[in-house]
Amino acid sequence: MGFLDSLLGRSRTPKPAKQDRLFAMSTAYVTLETAHGMTSGGKAGIVFQAEATADFARILADAEEVLRATGAETGTDVKMEDDKYGYRWVVLSDPDVEDLVVGINAIKDALDVGGYGARLLAVVFRFKREGGRDAYFIYNVKRGLWYPFVPAGGEQQRDNEAELRLKAQLASELPMEPELERWFPLWGAPL
Amino acid sequence: MNRSAALKAPAGLQARMLLTIFLLGVVYLALIAALFASGASGVFIALIAGGLFVFQLFAAEKLGLRAMGAEEVSPREAPELHAMIERLCVQADLPKPKVAIMRTSMPNAFAMGRSKKAATVCVTTGIMEILSPAELEGVLAHELSHIRHRDVVVMTIVSFFASIASMILQFGFFFGGGSDDDDSPGFLALFLVSLIVYVVSFFLMSALSRYREFAADRGAAEITRRPSALSSALMKISGTMDRIPQQDLRANSELAAFYIARPSTKSVLNLFSTHPPMDKRIAALERLEAQIQGTAAATPLAA
Repeated sequence: MGFLDSLLGRSRTPKPAKQDRLFAMSTAYVTLETAHGMTSGGKAGIVFQAEATADFARILADAEEVLRATGAETGTDVKMEDDKYGYRWVVLSDPDVEDLVVGINAIKDALDVGGYGARLLAVVFRFKREGGRDAYFIYNVKRGLWYPFVPAGGEQQRDNEAELRLKAQLASELPMEPELERWFPLWGAPL
Repeated sequence: MNRSAALKAPAGLQARMLLTIFLLGVVYLALIAALFASGASGVFIALIAGGLFVFQLFAAEKLGLRAMGAEEVSPREAPELHAMIERLCVQADLPKPKVAIMRTSMPNAFAMGRSKKAATVCVTTGIMEILSPAELEGVLAHELSHIRHRDVVVMTIVSFFASIASMILQFGFFFGGGSDDDDSPGFLALFLVSLIVYVVSFFLMSALSRYREFAADRGAAEITRRPSALSSALMKISGTMDRIPQQDLRANSELAAFYIARPSTKSVLNLFSTHPPMDKRIAALERLEAQIQGTAAATPLAA
């Protein structure tokens, strides 16, 4: 936001990042599985703030229908869910990570092309870690960057050590969010 | 039809904001000229005020929060509030501000801090009790818009010369009244200019603050796309605000510009108020909702 925008109190909700790095996951997961002993949790979700308009509902319903049709071929299960903060999740289940990436991208593109890109928040992939709690990789749609999120045992506790290690391990594969204060957790993700 | 296009920035509001800032600049130039014309004492006062200004910009956040009795809370202490703010931050692409809670039944919220990275959002326990999650989200988005628009910095800078004028007035009353020998005609002129600057800038600053409330409401609607939830929150807040007396909050007028709604606006004249009347804000939010629903009339937005 520029000086004049501040002065006049103008703001826009940012659109998805121009450089889309969602597909980085379709190669990064191979490194995760072969080099770092992690396996896909078989689930991925995209979270957005549904807009209460007929137009939005139609675009989302169309996208879901297409996804279910293609999902029947690839074996991807589609689920839609609202979380307790009023955000909508489209959760896909498929053992094949590449199918997950393609499916999530379909929803993301449909909303973006429909003009609702600014509503998109994040994409989340779940991975199982050997001898540890599950890790999540979160893709911030607005910034086009990834970051890890590893919940620890207690309530609202994160395993920062594991997160920073994952960042170091995957820095060359996933474009990572450099500002740690933007590693926003997503508690209670339905996947 | 693509209905999700960004909400129209109300041209009238922007023009009024620019005009107000321009007028403040003119008024302040007169003061600066008078300061220099009056010689050493004027420049000395300006230097003291400059020091105060820097102090205010850097220390106001902490001091203000402490004075109000607001406590910073960790994600473990207030998980829902943190989660709500985090999601809004992702949506608006803002770094996360500090989160504070004030223990009072008065429903209110405010934002402080000189930059996006050094900001605090504070809510009262009262507002969390009476608002639904969607309404609270609207209020938080309004506060985040204040941070995004750098309202604290804008208002602090804008009030800088007004506070110099007020210092000169006090200085004049204390030292100018007694003996006439050290009272140069230059100082008398400075005193008069300061008086005019103080009065005029007071009205202009109130107007600017009101415009920035509208802008923050619009910013909130941009983030959540649910202006009706914010309207409903404002109605709930204004409904209970006058019924629950909380002397400590009302007394604190310096902070009033940063509240979501000004405590007890009923008897205050529009011209003096830092916040627009509730019904005007609600009407503006209704027009935004009409834009989002695609039912807006072709007429441009007034506010």
